[in-house]
Amino acid sequence: MLNDFLILMKQELVITIIIFILLFIKIGSKDWKNESLLKLINVLLLLNVVFSFIGNQEGVLFNEMFRTNDLISLEKGILSLGTLIISLSSYSWLQNHKHVAEFYMLLLSTLLGMFLMISGGHLIMFYLGLELSTIPLAAIANFDLDKRKSSEAAFKLIISSAFSSGLLLFGISLVYGTTGTLLFSELAQTLTGTPIQIFAFILLFAGFAFKISVVPFHLWTADVYEGAPVAVTSYLSVISKGAVLFVFVSVLYGAFKPLATTWYNMLFILSVLTIIVGNLFAIRQNNLKRFLAFSSIAQVGFILIGVSGSSQTGTASVIYFILVYIFSNLAAFGVISFISAVTGKETIDDYKALYKTNPFLSWVITIALFSLAGVPPTAGFFGKYFLLMAGTGIAGSKGLIIWIIIAALNLVISFYYYLRVVKAIFMDANETPIQKLSVPFLPKLAMIICVAGIVLTGLFSFIYEYIFSLSNGF
Amino acid sequence: MSAIQIIFWFLSALAIVSALMVLISKNPVHSVLWLIMVFFAISGHYILLNAQFLAIVNLIVYAGAIMVLFLFVIMLMNLNNESEPQKNVWMRLAGAVSGGCLLMILVSLVRQAIEINNKVAEMKVGDIGLIGNLGKALFKDYLVPFEISSVLFLSAMVGAIVIGKKN
Repeated sequence: MLNDFLILMKQELVITIIIFILLFIKIGSKDWKNESLLKLINVLLLLNVVFSFIGNQEGVLFNEMFRTNDLISLEKGILSLGTLIISLSSYSWLQNHKHVAEFYMLLLSTLLGMFLMISGGHLIMFYLGLELSTIPLAAIANFDLDKRKSSEAAFKLIISSAFSSGLLLFGISLVYGTTGTLLFSELAQTLTGTPIQIFAFILLFAGFAFKISVVPFHLWTADVYEGAPVAVTSYLSVISKGAVLFVFVSVLYGAFKPLATTWYNMLFILSVLTIIVGNLFAIRQNNLKRFLAFSSIAQVGFILIGVSGSSQTGTASVIYFILVYIFSNLAAFGVISFISAVTGKETIDDYKALYKTNPFLSWVITIALFSLAGVPPTAGFFGKYFLLMAGTGIAGSKGLIIWIIIAALNLVISFYYYLRVVKAIFMDANETPIQKLSVPFLPKLAMIICVAGIVLTGLFSFIYEYIFSLSNGF
Repeated sequence: MSAIQIIFWFLSALAIVSALMVLISKNPVHSVLWLIMVFFAISGHYILLNAQFLAIVNLIVYAGAIMVLFLFVIMLMNLNNESEPQKNVWMRLAGAVSGGCLLMILVSLVRQAIEINNKVAEMKVGDIGLIGNLGKALFKDYLVPFEISSVLFLSAMVGAIVIGKKN
């Protein structure tokens, strides 16, 4: 029993140990310099990534409350990798921050929450994991302690997430009331699709939709992304969204399999709305953080197409796309985070003629934007391609073709606003461009990892094939 | 009608009327007082279902602690009749329409619910709400979620302290 516990919960235990190390560093008497503390933390996070990829086993613990398998371990590994990249690229911002240890404690407890949420086989575990992954995030959204906008972001985040938790809990209680169980494996057998269960499912779905900012529930996204520190924004838009999407897929395909027609129709309407609204608003933005917020809304719309596939391809394409999305979005955020920490400039106009002074940064953000838009040699193209392919079903047998057409047309619109930034960087003239900046080693490393990820995950097919071999549909 | 039924209908009517009064009252302090009434009525229902511990916890936590917090906030923000924001007509209309739709759906759901038709709540016989059984469930079946919630509180506390600290 103890052996099982240590092996199966290895990834969670490693994170808990790091949290406790940070706690002891904080309450210890020795005063740590920020630089050495950051280096120590980054080494620990690197170890965490290494540990989460090796020696994983399958199994269930605590009466199916906790389950793990190769796919779940892979998902956790992807999230750990993303967290490491964010930590590396926010080095410049954290260097002068007073509360580094607390920042990482809160960040890692949200990661722990996501791990438990992904592994949870019970709606209570899922709910607690979700709370653990949002409440500390609201606290670190406020970590630009002297900016009013940062506090506003934190407040909006906590209010909207509390509201969505309310919907979620109402849904969970109705599910429990009608079936008498909350275990995913039993729900898949006892749910029959009576009106109350459908209503409960819609509430649950709304809770999910809030977290991944699907359109009628997206109103908090732009304000929170703009106000929060860039490190937190990138964490919110990539890691926390990715984790909720992982769970979303496994909950829809697992526990709510009996309601498949209901959620297929819901996914259709919501994803079309999400793509269109996200695109239209992204065109109008001038602040880069708001721009990326709306672009991430549009990306979620595409992911929902993949989710609707409900096949092995569906699961695999969603996970693959999130992996690609982590690399591309974090590369873009890495550049924005660095420039914003050093110069405080965040609008597209400020980036005009960036290429003249900072060719390296320009190339990184350009490759990232190409990948987000889905230009062929980058991995973003294959990600979107697999999502649309999953959406059409096997050989176009079950997908709605009109849905795929709308999505493809929107892909073209999205080219316009992504390439607008590229145009500003390379072609526009500017009297006062951003001065020449020297990038420190760690943020540079993060950007290089991201660019390598964008290129390699696109070129080597075994990554997708490996994910495909672990996935399952129904 | 037996005594239990009379108490049940009385408590239900009380809960619904007080809940309506929470919404209708112009003065925020009155709303909070009516909300306390709602909690008392619901605690009464818990006692009817033989869940004494839940009833007491409901009173202590909701009617006691959380209501005090509400009153504090109202006092700090100095809310009263005059400071209530005036919403425009379209907002009210949209609210009424969407709220009405939700109400209609809920009513039709309950009417069609085959799960709960012809089923009677078991008064005085259930024992899951007793403190011993609740403790057993919490520390046996639900031990892992219980431990996770402690991590949640720890991190929430760390966050609150960092934000609240003076520079």
